[in-house]
Parts: sequence; structure tokens; C-alpha cells
Amino acid sequence: MELNTAAAVIRFATEVEEKSAQFYDDCAKRYSEVEETFLSFVRENKKNVTLVKRAYYGVISDALEACFSFKGLNVDEHFFETECDEKAALSDILKMSLEMENNIQDFYQRASALSESLMADLPRALKKVAEKRKERKHTLESLLDSVR
Amino acid sequence: MSVEKLKNFINGEWVDSESTEYGDVRNPAWDKLLCQVPMSTKAEVDRAVQAAKNAFPEWRNTPPVARARCLHRLRELLEENFDELSRVQTTEHGKTIDESRGETRRGIEMVEVATGIPSLMQGYNLEDIATDIDEYCIYQPLGVFGHIAPFNFPFMVPLWYLPFAIATGNTFIVKPSPRDPMSQVELFKLFDDAGIPPGVVSLVHGAADVANHLLEHPDIKGMTFVGSTPVGKIIYRKCGETGKRVIAQCGAKNYLVILPDVDLDSAVPSLMTSFFGNTGQRCLSGANAVVVGEDDAFFKRFVDTFVEAASKIRVGDGLDESVQMGPLQTGESKKRVIGFIEKGIEEGAKLLLDGRKLNLVGDVPETCFLNPTVFGNVTPRMTIGREEIFGPVANIMRAKDLDEAIEMIHSNPYGNAVSIYTSSGKMARRFQHDVMCGNVGINIGIVAPMAFFPFSGMKDSFFGTLHGQGRDAIRFFTESKIVIQRWF
Repeated sequence: MELNTAAAVIRFATEVEEKSAQFYDDCAKRYSEVEETFLSFVRENKKNVTLVKRAYYGVISDALEACFSFKGLNVDEHFFETECDEKAALSDILKMSLEMENNIQDFYQRASALSESLMADLPRALKKVAEKRKERKHTLESLLDSVR
Repeated sequence: MSVEKLKNFINGEWVDSESTEYGDVRNPAWDKLLCQVPMSTKAEVDRAVQAAKNAFPEWRNTPPVARARCLHRLRELLEENFDELSRVQTTEHGKTIDESRGETRRGIEMVEVATGIPSLMQGYNLEDIATDIDEYCIYQPLGVFGHIAPFNFPFMVPLWYLPFAIATGNTFIVKPSPRDPMSQVELFKLFDDAGIPPGVVSLVHGAADVANHLLEHPDIKGMTFVGSTPVGKIIYRKCGETGKRVIAQCGAKNYLVILPDVDLDSAVPSLMTSFFGNTGQRCLSGANAVVVGEDDAFFKRFVDTFVEAASKIRVGDGLDESVQMGPLQTGESKKRVIGFIEKGIEEGAKLLLDGRKLNLVGDVPETCFLNPTVFGNVTPRMTIGREEIFGPVANIMRAKDLDEAIEMIHSNPYGNAVSIYTSSGKMARRFQHDVMCGNVGINIGIVAPMAFFPFSGMKDSFFGTLHGQGRDAIRFFTESKIVIQRWF
């Protein structure tokens, strides 16, 4: 399904953050080696929601193209799996996390590029979350290297 | 099940109306009754005016910095209630939730600007206008002001005036549109918590009788109005007769001029917002798109792109976040717009996209819905090219050059908003210089002035001298008092 409106994009971003936070929270309970890192991701996800929503509510204007700015942003392309086998190896969990983060980073980057015609705060906030996701990927890659 | 009857807010209290006459307030997306609104009596208007008059001396003597703090508290409350305020707008008006949130944000911006009143209201002075004599100018409030609100922005439009009026020390009475008064009820619930004293702001529901009584009331110093041009003319005349100040922001028929050098792909979201945002029910909506030049290939590309984009707009309940255009505000509005569409066909315009063929998201009833309509071969003399439709109908015209496009704009009696879409700074500069219109956009679809600028308008789109918002509003709500002093 294509997202068209700013409201739909913000809702999707919230769902992405909540879904991935739930994944990290569940995994933190099962893999003590990554507990601290994953719980920090959970906290960061909450901050991301606040950041994006604050930007959206701060700049939304009836005069800008909020309903028509996100043409081509397809939710189906940003679907990610969070279901995993309870006995999965930590390396598999980390690979899954990396794939998920790739997907989420891509969503934020595209949403940021599409919203450039809106006021600056929103694309900036989306870009900032994309950058955070990129940093998170580095962390995950390091963890993966350490368990291989 | 009993239906809620809205109350008036007079002298700091919510009071039942003594009227026996009530109107229905309906959710246009689902065609459901939401509540009933009283057609208040003259006595109730009198009580609101008396309360406002009584509150004025103490309020005007409240230091501007203290008045500003009340507005700061109001702003905080508006932020806290942002989403609920927005949802009420969509529920009673029909616009999309993004549009409602945008309306809420713009309303809050007015309050934010008005909080700067200790700076904005400062006068000026000059020492030694003669030997040992100084002169200075002080801005002082006048008393009670009134506002007659339109239905199309039920939350925001009263806030174009109210924060500036009370920040400057006046008192203020709002008569909301009886079609969607709930947004103002939600707003007024916050005034009490903001610490604004009883009588400083009042809310009196009703229709033309209440408006007329406000206009004729001898204790009201000025009126503000947003609505149609015929009503605006009456208000302007009546205010003249009763010696009131007036801001009357009225109808429009806005032209968007498209030059062949435009970046069309970038312009499309802006054009769609302009023509179909708020379902075309706003005085800044695009109405006529004039494609300039004799480049037939560009013209065809423009028409094809425009029609395709309009045909893809998702129409449905505004609370559905995937929806890009909501219903018209009433079934009567829909009938009126259909009347224009039929007139357009009758007068020879080419129907490129027929919004009467409904394609709706979800199982909403058809009562108030139309999809976007696009006409080609429209001329400025046709009814649809000339009159304000106030619905999701776009007309495409052609002009051989920019001069002809400007002539077309000037042939229309309105002067609210125009835009030019181009990548040529030279052409844009010429356009903004030559065109006679209050709000001019360059690659902007909705030329909505921010709260710190006046909301302009010319010709039949505006009656008055000073405009709402910004410094104009400060001047409108204050009188200049001159003091010349010498000490012996």
C-alpha cells in the first residue's frame, strides 16, 4: 500500500519504532550478551517517535502539501519480520536485526527526501532517525563480528 | 438517545440558551447528527456584550505582560489538546486529519504571535518637537469587538483576530458558524483554564439574527468577518452606519498562472493542494489554472499530468489517514457544486474529469462527497470561470502570454490570491509587481500569510482598511492616542 499523507507516514513511523522496539525488548530478555545494547535501542526508539511526532506537529500547516507529498512511498517495500525461533542463535538474531535496520533506514531516507517541500523540521527529523539507524547498524555489525 | 445541545459561553460561564430554535450539526463524512446548536436570542447577545463591556476596564488595565502570560497559558493548553482539537474539526467539517492539524497549528501560531504584545503594542515618541515639548503616540484598546465566523476553518479563523484583540486589551465575542460550532466550543473550554477573566471572551451561537444584532449593537466598537462577498458588503455598510471598525475578508476566484518553464513534477503536489485541499472550500483555493504560451506539447503534458494526479486523489472520511480529500461540508454544498458542474457543461467547457462519478475510500455514504472535477476549454466569462464555486472543481484555461494572463485575472472582480508557477525570476518578479491581488504566490499553491504578516485581500475580496493578523491586527484593535507635553 502506498502512503500519501504526512499523517499516514507519521503513523507508519510510529508503528515501525514500536514493532522494532518490541523485537529488541523480547530479544534482550533471551540473550544476555546483547541485553544492554538492545535495551538502549528500545529507549532510542521511544525517543525517535517523540522526535518525529514533535517535528510533524510543529510544522504541519494547512497551506503545505501534507496530503500530497509522499507519492511512491510504498509500505509493502518496508515490511520487516520480527518473528523468530526462540532457540535461534544470537548470530541469526543479529543478522535479522541488521536486515530490519536496513529496511527502516531506507524508509526514513525516502520519507525525508519526499518531504523536502514541507517545512524543514520534518525532513530533518526523518533524516536524523535514518542516521541513527545507520549508526545502529554499525553497532550490530560489531556485535555480529564478535559472536562469529 | 438525547442529542447534546451546545451552550453559550457568557461572562465566564457555560449557559443553556433560552432559545427554542436549534440547528443540527452533522458529521458530513458519515451523515450523522453530532449535536444541536442554539439560535441564540437578542437578549443573550445583549448579555454577552454587557459582560464584555463590564470586563473591559479591568482587562485593559491589566499590564500587557500579564495579558501575554494568559495567552502563553492558552498556547500550552492548545498544544496539550492538539489532537483532540484537530479531530473535532475533521468530525464536524469533514477535512482530512492532516488539514485539521494544519489548521490547529496555524491557530496556535496566531496565539504565539499575540504573546509578543509587550513589544508589538509599543508606541513611539519624539523629543523636542518644539522647545521643551515632547510628543508621543500610545496605542490603546477600544472596547468590545465581535467576530462572525465562516464554516470552512471552524477553529482557525476566529483566531486570526481573537488573540490580537484580547492581547491589546479589548474584549471579544465570537459567533461561530452554526454548521460547525464545536471547534469553537472546544477552544473556549480552554480559556477558563488559561486564566482569562470572565467576560473577556464570549461565545454566542446562532445564525444571521445573532450576526445582525452584533452588527447593530451600539456598544460594539468593531467587527471582523470572514465569508462571502455579498454578506461582506452588507457588513461593511452596516459597520459604516453604526461607526464600527471592520475587517471583512470575503470571496475569491483565484488564478494560478502556469509558465511552460515550470518544473511540473515538483509543482503537482502544490497544485493538487491548491485546487482540492480542504475540498476546495477555502478562499485561497486555486480555481482557474491558466497555461501561458502557445506550446501545445507543454499544454497537453500539463493537462494530462493534472488530470491524472486529480483522478488519483483518495476521497473519504478525513479521519482515515490515507485519505487526501474529505467530503463537502453539507449535502446542500454538494448540490450547489454539482449545479456549477452542470452549468460548465452547458456553457461549453470540456469535462476532463467528472467528480460526480464517485470513487470513495471505505463505505461512507455518498451524501456530501464529490471526487475532483477538472474542466478544460474554460473562459473567464463562463459561470465556472467567473464565480466562486467553493468546491473541488479546477478549470484549465490558456493565455497567449503573461500579459493576457494578468488581464484575465484583472477582469475578475475578486483579488484574494494568485500564484505563478515558473523557473524564471524575471517573469515572477514582473507578475508580482503588476498583478492587482492581495496575496501573491510564486510556486506556492496556497498563499496563506503567516500569523506575523497581514492576511491581505483586494477588490471584492476585502472590505476595510487594515487586515487581520500581524501588525495590521495590532493597529486595527487599537486607537492611536497622541500626547504632547510640556512642563513649566
